[in-house]
Amino acid sequence: MIFIKEFFMAAMAVVGFGLLFNIPKKAFPLAALAGGLGWISYVYFLQVLDSVIGATFMGTCVLAIISEIFARTFKETVTVFTIPAIIPLVPGSGMYYSMLAIIDSDYALFASVGSQTLFIAASISAALLIVSSTTRIVMNIKMKVGTN
Amino acid sequence: MYTTKKAWVELALYAGEIMLKNGAETYRVEDTIIRICKMHDIHSVESFVTPTGIFVSVNDIPDSPSISFIKRIKNRTINLNKVSKVNDFSRKISNINLSFEEGMRELRIIDFIPAYGKLFEGLGAGIASAFFGVLLGANILDVLISFFISIVIYLVLEFIDSLDTNLFIQNTIGGAIAAFLAIVAITLNIGIDIDKIIISSIMILLPGVAITNAVRDSISGDLISGLARTAEAIIIAVSIAIGVGLVMHIWIQFLGGAL
Repeated sequence: MIFIKEFFMAAMAVVGFGLLFNIPKKAFPLAALAGGLGWISYVYFLQVLDSVIGATFMGTCVLAIISEIFARTFKETVTVFTIPAIIPLVPGSGMYYSMLAIIDSDYALFASVGSQTLFIAASISAALLIVSSTTRIVMNIKMKVGTN
Repeated sequence: MYTTKKAWVELALYAGEIMLKNGAETYRVEDTIIRICKMHDIHSVESFVTPTGIFVSVNDIPDSPSISFIKRIKNRTINLNKVSKVNDFSRKISNINLSFEEGMRELRIIDFIPAYGKLFEGLGAGIASAFFGVLLGANILDVLISFFISIVIYLVLEFIDSLDTNLFIQNTIGGAIAAFLAIVAITLNIGIDIDKIIISSIMILLPGVAITNAVRDSISGDLISGLARTAEAIIIAVSIAIGVGLVMHIWIQFLGGAL
Protein backbone atom coordinates (compact mmCIF):
# COMPACT_ATOMS: atom_id res chain seq x y z
CA MET A 1 0.00 0.00 0.00
CA ILE A 2 2.76 2.40 0.95
CA PHE A 3 4.42 1.54 -2.36
CA ILE A 4 1.36 2.61 -4.35
CA LYS A 5 1.33 5.97 -2.60
CA GLU A 6 5.08 6.47 -3.06
CA PHE A 7 4.78 5.42 -6.71
CA PHE A 8 2.08 7.99 -7.34
CA MET A 9 3.99 10.82 -5.63
CA ALA A 10 7.21 10.12 -7.51
CA ALA A 11 5.33 9.78 -10.80
CA MET A 12 3.72 13.19 -10.28
CA ALA A 13 7.09 14.78 -9.51
CA VAL A 14 8.41 13.26 -12.74
CA VAL A 15 5.45 14.68 -14.68
CA GLY A 16 6.21 18.12 -13.26
CA PHE A 17 9.80 17.92 -14.38
CA GLY A 18 8.66 16.52 -17.71
CA LEU A 19 6.76 19.77 -18.26
CA LEU A 20 9.80 21.83 -17.23
CA PHE A 21 12.08 19.86 -19.55
CA ASN A 22 9.55 19.86 -22.40
CA ILE A 23 9.49 16.13 -23.01
CA PRO A 24 7.27 14.97 -25.91
CA LYS A 25 3.61 14.57 -24.98
CA LYS A 26 3.47 10.83 -25.55
CA ALA A 27 6.46 10.33 -23.24
CA PHE A 28 4.71 11.62 -20.09
CA PRO A 29 3.02 8.39 -18.95
CA LEU A 30 6.10 6.35 -19.82
CA ALA A 31 8.56 8.63 -18.01
CA ALA A 32 6.21 8.77 -15.02
CA LEU A 33 6.02 4.97 -14.97
CA ALA A 34 9.81 4.64 -15.16
CA GLY A 35 10.36 7.29 -12.50
CA GLY A 36 7.73 5.85 -10.17
CA LEU A 37 9.09 2.31 -10.45
CA GLY A 38 12.63 3.62 -9.97
CA TRP A 39 11.56 5.43 -6.81
CA ILE A 40 9.74 2.47 -5.24
CA SER A 41 12.72 0.24 -5.96
CA TYR A 42 14.81 2.87 -4.16
CA VAL A 43 12.43 2.76 -1.19
CA TYR A 44 12.49 -1.04 -1.21
CA PHE A 45 16.27 -1.36 -1.46
CA LEU A 46 16.72 1.31 1.21
CA GLN A 47 15.06 -1.12 3.63
CA VAL A 48 16.92 -4.15 2.32
CA LEU A 49 20.42 -2.70 1.88
CA ASP A 50 20.23 0.02 4.52
CA SER A 51 22.44 2.26 2.37
CA VAL A 52 21.28 5.38 0.55
CA ILE A 53 24.01 5.08 -2.06
CA GLY A 54 23.31 1.43 -2.79
CA ALA A 55 19.55 2.02 -2.91
CA THR A 56 19.98 4.98 -5.27
CA PHE A 57 22.12 2.81 -7.51
CA MET A 58 19.54 0.01 -7.62
CA GLY A 59 16.66 2.45 -8.15
CA THR A 60 18.46 4.12 -11.03
CA CYS A 61 19.28 0.73 -12.57
CA VAL A 62 15.59 -0.20 -12.52
CA LEU A 63 14.44 3.05 -14.10
CA ALA A 64 17.27 3.00 -16.65
CA ILE A 65 16.42 -0.54 -17.78
CA ILE A 66 12.74 0.38 -18.13
CA SER A 67 13.71 3.54 -20.03
CA GLU A 68 15.96 1.60 -22.43
CA ILE A 69 13.09 -0.81 -23.14
CA PHE A 70 10.70 2.12 -23.75
CA ALA A 71 13.27 3.86 -25.96
CA ARG A 72 13.63 0.75 -28.13
CA THR A 73 9.90 0.04 -28.24
CA PHE A 74 8.70 3.57 -28.95
CA LYS A 75 11.70 4.73 -31.00
CA GLU A 76 12.54 7.66 -28.73
CA THR A 77 15.81 8.93 -27.38
CA VAL A 78 16.43 7.34 -24.01
CA THR A 79 17.17 10.67 -22.27
CA VAL A 80 13.53 11.70 -22.79
CA PHE A 81 12.68 9.13 -20.12
CA THR A 82 15.78 9.02 -17.93
CA ILE A 83 16.31 12.76 -17.32
CA PRO A 84 12.90 13.42 -15.71
CA ALA A 85 12.78 9.95 -14.14
CA ILE A 86 15.99 10.28 -12.10
CA ILE A 87 14.85 13.56 -10.53
CA PRO A 88 13.22 12.03 -7.40
CA LEU A 89 16.56 10.34 -6.68
CA VAL A 90 18.70 13.48 -7.11
CA PRO A 91 20.24 14.36 -3.72
CA GLY A 92 18.62 17.77 -3.21
CA SER A 93 18.49 17.56 0.57
CA GLY A 94 22.14 16.49 0.73
CA MET A 95 23.12 19.64 -1.10
CA TYR A 96 21.00 21.80 1.18
CA TYR A 97 22.37 20.27 4.37
CA SER A 98 25.97 20.59 3.20
CA MET A 99 25.28 24.29 2.60
CA LEU A 100 23.78 24.65 6.08
CA ALA A 101 26.90 23.00 7.49
CA ILE A 102 29.03 25.69 5.82
CA ILE A 103 26.89 28.45 7.33
CA ASP A 104 27.38 26.83 10.73
CA SER A 105 31.15 26.58 10.04
CA ASP A 106 30.80 22.86 10.75
CA TYR A 107 33.33 21.59 8.24
CA ALA A 108 33.36 18.03 9.51
CA LEU A 109 29.62 17.76 8.88
CA PHE A 110 30.11 19.44 5.50
CA ALA A 111 32.72 16.85 4.55
CA SER A 112 30.53 13.90 5.50
CA VAL A 113 27.24 15.19 4.06
CA GLY A 114 28.95 16.69 1.01
CA SER A 115 30.83 13.54 0.13
CA GLN A 116 27.69 11.44 0.56
CA THR A 117 25.86 13.80 -1.80
CA LEU A 118 28.64 13.45 -4.32
CA PHE A 119 28.59 9.66 -4.08
CA ILE A 120 24.81 9.59 -4.57
CA ALA A 121 25.18 11.70 -7.70
CA ALA A 122 27.98 9.42 -8.89
CA SER A 123 25.92 6.30 -8.24
CA ILE A 124 23.07 7.70 -10.35
CA SER A 125 25.44 8.35 -13.26
CA ALA A 126 27.22 5.03 -12.84
CA ALA A 127 23.93 3.13 -12.91
CA LEU A 128 22.77 4.98 -16.03
CA LEU A 129 26.09 4.33 -17.72
CA ILE A 130 26.26 0.65 -16.81
CA VAL A 131 22.74 0.04 -18.10
CA SER A 132 23.27 1.94 -21.37
CA SER A 133 26.64 0.25 -22.02
CA THR A 134 25.19 -3.17 -21.32
CA THR A 135 22.29 -2.44 -23.67
CA ARG A 136 24.73 -1.44 -26.39
CA ILE A 137 26.78 -4.62 -25.87
CA VAL A 138 23.64 -6.78 -25.97
CA MET A 139 22.43 -5.04 -29.14
CA ASN A 140 25.82 -5.51 -30.80
CA ILE A 141 25.88 -9.20 -29.91
CA LYS A 142 22.35 -9.56 -31.27
CA MET A 143 23.38 -7.86 -34.52
CA LYS A 144 26.44 -10.08 -34.88
CA VAL A 145 24.41 -13.22 -34.21
CA GLY A 146 21.80 -11.98 -36.69
CA THR A 147 24.26 -11.39 -39.53
CA ASN A 148 26.08 -14.71 -39.15
CA MET B 1 29.73 18.96 -56.11
CA TYR B 2 31.68 21.05 -53.69
CA THR B 3 28.78 23.33 -52.86
CA THR B 4 26.25 20.54 -52.36
CA LYS B 5 28.57 18.78 -49.95
CA LYS B 6 29.13 22.00 -48.08
CA ALA B 7 25.38 22.51 -47.87
CA TRP B 8 24.88 19.07 -46.34
CA VAL B 9 27.57 19.74 -43.76
CA GLU B 10 25.75 22.95 -42.88
CA LEU B 11 22.53 20.98 -42.46
CA ALA B 12 24.28 18.46 -40.22
CA LEU B 13 25.75 21.32 -38.20
CA TYR B 14 22.34 22.91 -37.80
CA ALA B 15 20.88 19.62 -36.60
CA GLY B 16 23.74 19.29 -34.12
CA GLU B 17 23.27 22.85 -32.94
CA ILE B 18 19.58 22.30 -32.17
CA MET B 19 20.39 19.12 -30.25
CA LEU B 20 23.19 20.65 -28.19
CA LYS B 21 21.22 23.82 -27.43
CA ASN B 22 18.42 21.71 -26.02
CA GLY B 23 20.36 19.40 -23.77
CA ALA B 24 21.42 16.36 -25.80
CA GLU B 25 24.47 14.36 -24.74
CA THR B 26 27.80 15.06 -26.38
CA TYR B 27 28.21 11.71 -28.11
CA ARG B 28 24.70 11.89 -29.55
CA VAL B 29 25.42 15.25 -31.18
CA GLU B 30 28.71 13.99 -32.63
CA ASP B 31 27.05 10.82 -33.91
CA THR B 32 24.17 12.71 -35.52
CA ILE B 33 26.49 15.09 -37.37
CA ILE B 34 28.68 12.28 -38.66
CA ARG B 35 25.68 10.14 -39.59
CA ILE B 36 24.04 12.89 -41.64
CA CYS B 37 27.33 13.64 -43.41
CA LYS B 38 28.11 10.01 -44.20
CA MET B 39 24.63 9.56 -45.61
CA HIS B 40 25.49 12.13 -48.24
CA ASP B 41 28.78 10.61 -49.31
CA ILE B 42 30.94 12.78 -47.13
CA HIS B 43 33.21 10.20 -45.63
CA SER B 44 36.18 11.89 -44.12
CA VAL B 45 34.40 14.00 -41.59
CA GLU B 46 35.31 14.62 -37.99
CA SER B 47 33.16 16.31 -35.43
CA PHE B 48 34.19 17.47 -32.01
CA VAL B 49 31.53 18.68 -29.62
CA THR B 50 31.85 20.44 -26.31
CA PRO B 51 28.96 21.99 -24.37
CA THR B 52 29.97 25.43 -25.62
CA GLY B 53 30.69 24.75 -29.26
CA ILE B 54 30.62 22.39 -32.23
CA PHE B 55 33.61 21.85 -34.50
CA VAL B 56 33.19 20.01 -37.78
CA SER B 57 35.94 19.45 -40.30
CA VAL B 58 35.45 17.90 -43.73
CA ASN B 59 38.24 16.78 -45.99
CA ASP B 60 36.56 14.94 -48.76
CA ILE B 61 37.39 16.57 -52.04
CA PRO B 62 40.75 15.74 -53.60
CA ASP B 63 43.03 18.67 -54.37
CA SER B 64 41.04 21.16 -52.40
CA PRO B 65 41.55 22.49 -48.91
CA SER B 66 39.52 20.93 -46.16
CA ILE B 67 36.66 22.99 -44.83
CA SER B 68 35.80 23.39 -41.20
CA PHE B 69 32.88 24.86 -39.36
CA ILE B 70 32.69 26.20 -35.85
CA LYS B 71 29.43 26.84 -34.13
CA ARG B 72 29.49 28.64 -30.83
CA ILE B 73 26.68 27.64 -28.45
CA LYS B 74 25.92 30.40 -25.98
CA ASN B 75 22.64 29.46 -24.36
CA ARG B 76 21.63 25.99 -23.37
CA THR B 77 18.26 24.96 -22.02
CA ILE B 78 16.62 21.58 -21.67
CA ASN B 79 13.95 20.92 -24.26
CA LEU B 80 13.88 17.19 -24.81
CA ASN B 81 11.05 17.42 -27.31
CA LYS B 82 13.38 19.07 -29.82
CA VAL B 83 16.17 16.58 -29.15
CA SER B 84 13.76 13.74 -29.79
CA LYS B 85 12.45 15.40 -32.97
CA VAL B 86 15.95 15.95 -34.42
CA ASN B 87 16.79 12.36 -33.55
CA ASP B 88 13.71 11.22 -35.48
CA PHE B 89 14.72 13.50 -38.33
CA SER B 90 18.21 12.02 -38.59
CA ARG B 91 16.71 8.55 -38.60
CA LYS B 92 14.14 9.53 -41.22
CA ILE B 93 16.66 11.16 -43.52
CA SER B 94 18.33 7.78 -44.06
CA ASN B 95 15.09 6.14 -45.17
CA ILE B 96 13.64 8.69 -47.53
CA ASN B 97 15.62 10.90 -49.82
CA LEU B 98 15.08 14.38 -48.50
CA SER B 99 16.36 17.32 -50.54
CA PHE B 100 18.54 19.90 -48.84
CA GLU B 101 15.81 22.56 -48.86
CA GLU B 102 13.24 20.18 -47.41
CA GLY B 103 15.67 19.08 -44.74
CA MET B 104 16.49 22.65 -43.76
CA ARG B 105 12.81 23.52 -43.65
CA GLU B 106 12.08 20.58 -41.34
CA LEU B 107 14.94 21.51 -39.04
CA ARG B 108 13.78 25.10 -38.90
CA ILE B 109 10.28 23.93 -37.96
CA ILE B 110 11.79 21.83 -35.17
CA ASP B 111 13.97 24.73 -34.01
CA PHE B 112 10.94 26.97 -33.60
CA ILE B 113 8.55 24.49 -32.01
CA PRO B 114 6.97 26.41 -29.16
CA ALA B 115 7.70 25.12 -25.68
CA TYR B 116 4.83 24.17 -23.39
CA GLY B 117 4.63 27.81 -22.39
CA LYS B 118 4.96 29.71 -19.15
CA LEU B 119 1.65 28.50 -17.75
CA PHE B 120 2.35 24.79 -18.10
CA GLU B 121 6.03 25.01 -17.28
CA GLY B 122 5.29 27.08 -14.19
CA LEU B 123 2.65 24.58 -13.19
CA GLY B 124 5.16 21.81 -13.86
CA ALA B 125 7.67 23.52 -11.57
CA GLY B 126 5.02 23.78 -8.86
CA ILE B 127 3.90 20.16 -9.20
CA ALA B 128 7.46 18.89 -9.25
CA SER B 129 8.40 20.76 -6.07
CA ALA B 130 5.16 19.90 -4.31
CA PHE B 131 5.44 16.17 -4.90
CA PHE B 132 9.11 16.19 -4.10
CA GLY B 133 8.10 17.73 -0.79
CA VAL B 134 5.63 14.88 -0.28
CA LEU B 135 8.40 12.38 -0.94
CA LEU B 136 10.48 14.13 1.72
CA GLY B 137 7.61 13.67 4.14
CA ALA B 138 6.55 17.31 4.43
CA ASN B 139 3.05 18.06 5.70
CA ILE B 140 0.32 19.42 3.46
CA LEU B 141 0.85 23.12 4.28
CA ASP B 142 4.57 22.94 3.58
CA VAL B 143 3.81 21.17 0.32
CA LEU B 144 1.39 23.92 -0.74
CA ILE B 145 3.92 26.60 0.19
CA SER B 146 6.69 25.02 -1.85
CA PHE B 147 4.22 24.66 -4.74
CA PHE B 148 3.75 28.43 -4.78
CA ILE B 149 7.39 29.28 -4.06
CA SER B 150 8.68 27.29 -7.00
CA ILE B 151 6.12 28.86 -9.34
CA VAL B 152 7.37 32.27 -8.19
CA ILE B 153 10.99 31.17 -8.67
CA TYR B 154 10.20 29.88 -12.14
CA LEU B 155 8.47 33.09 -13.23
CA VAL B 156 11.18 35.36 -11.79
CA LEU B 157 13.93 33.29 -13.43
CA GLU B 158 12.14 33.40 -16.77
CA PHE B 159 12.09 37.18 -16.48
CA ILE B 160 15.75 37.41 -15.41
CA ASP B 161 16.73 35.06 -18.20
CA SER B 162 15.22 37.46 -20.74
CA LEU B 163 17.57 40.17 -19.42
CA ASP B 164 20.55 38.16 -20.70
CA THR B 165 22.07 37.26 -17.34
CA ASN B 166 24.35 34.36 -16.53
CA LEU B 167 23.86 31.10 -14.64
CA PHE B 168 25.41 32.42 -11.45
CA ILE B 169 23.09 35.41 -11.05
CA GLN B 170 20.01 33.39 -11.98
CA ASN B 171 20.61 30.62 -9.48
CA THR B 172 21.70 32.94 -6.69
CA ILE B 173 18.47 34.88 -7.08
CA GLY B 174 16.49 31.63 -7.29
CA GLY B 175 18.02 30.34 -4.07
CA ALA B 176 17.52 33.68 -2.33
CA ILE B 177 13.84 33.80 -3.30
CA ALA B 178 13.34 30.24 -2.02
CA ALA B 179 14.94 31.02 1.34
CA PHE B 180 13.22 34.41 1.71
CA LEU B 181 9.71 33.15 0.96
CA ALA B 182 10.22 30.11 3.17
CA ILE B 183 11.27 32.37 6.04
CA VAL B 184 8.24 34.59 5.42
CA ALA B 185 6.00 31.51 5.53
CA ILE B 186 7.58 30.34 8.79
CA THR B 187 7.33 33.78 10.38
CA LEU B 188 3.66 34.01 9.47
CA ASN B 189 3.21 30.59 11.10
CA ILE B 190 1.88 29.03 7.92
CA GLY B 191 4.80 26.73 7.30
CA ILE B 192 6.28 24.31 9.80
CA ASP B 193 9.48 22.75 8.53
CA ILE B 194 11.70 25.36 6.84
CA ASP B 195 14.25 22.78 5.68
CA LYS B 196 11.69 20.77 3.75
CA ILE B 197 10.13 23.86 2.19
CA ILE B 198 13.50 25.15 0.97
CA ILE B 199 14.74 21.75 -0.23
CA SER B 200 11.65 21.07 -2.30
CA SER B 201 11.55 24.63 -3.67
CA ILE B 202 15.17 24.65 -4.86
CA MET B 203 14.65 21.23 -6.45
CA ILE B 204 13.78 22.87 -9.77
CA LEU B 205 17.12 24.72 -9.77
CA LEU B 206 19.37 21.84 -8.76
CA PRO B 207 21.98 20.69 -11.26
CA GLY B 208 20.91 17.06 -11.13
CA VAL B 209 20.93 16.74 -14.88
CA ALA B 210 24.20 18.63 -15.19
CA ILE B 211 25.96 16.42 -12.63
CA THR B 212 24.64 13.23 -14.20
CA ASN B 213 25.65 14.29 -17.69
CA ALA B 214 29.04 15.43 -16.41
CA VAL B 215 29.89 12.08 -14.88
CA ARG B 216 28.49 10.24 -17.88
CA ASP B 217 30.51 12.30 -20.37
CA SER B 218 33.67 11.86 -18.32
CA ILE B 219 33.29 8.10 -17.99
CA SER B 220 32.46 7.58 -21.66
CA GLY B 221 35.59 9.43 -22.77
CA ASP B 222 34.32 12.90 -23.65
CA LEU B 223 36.67 14.35 -21.08
CA ILE B 224 36.48 18.01 -22.09
CA SER B 225 32.69 17.97 -22.11
CA GLY B 226 32.78 16.14 -18.81
CA LEU B 227 34.95 18.83 -17.23
CA ALA B 228 32.88 21.64 -18.73
CA ARG B 229 29.65 20.15 -17.44
CA THR B 230 31.21 19.51 -14.03
CA ALA B 231 32.18 23.17 -13.86
CA GLU B 232 28.63 24.12 -14.83
CA ALA B 233 27.15 21.85 -12.16
CA ILE B 234 29.50 23.22 -9.49
CA ILE B 235 28.70 26.82 -10.44
CA ILE B 236 24.96 26.13 -10.26
CA ALA B 237 25.24 24.32 -6.93
CA VAL B 238 27.48 26.98 -5.39
CA SER B 239 25.30 29.84 -6.57
CA ILE B 240 22.12 28.26 -5.18
CA ALA B 241 23.97 27.73 -1.91
CA ILE B 242 25.12 31.37 -1.90
CA GLY B 243 21.59 32.60 -2.49
CA VAL B 244 20.00 30.41 0.16
CA GLY B 245 22.94 30.79 2.54
CA LEU B 246 23.02 34.58 2.36
CA VAL B 247 19.35 34.96 3.21
CA MET B 248 19.47 32.31 5.96
CA HIS B 249 22.58 33.89 7.44
CA ILE B 250 20.99 37.34 7.60
CA TRP B 251 17.88 35.81 9.14
CA ILE B 252 19.79 33.86 11.79
CA GLN B 253 22.36 36.52 12.65
CA PHE B 254 20.37 39.73 12.52
CA LEU B 255 16.72 38.85 12.79
CA GLY B 256 16.99 36.20 15.43
CA GLY B 257 15.79 33.27 13.42
CA ALA B 258 16.46 29.75 14.63
CA LEU B 259 16.84 26.57 12.66
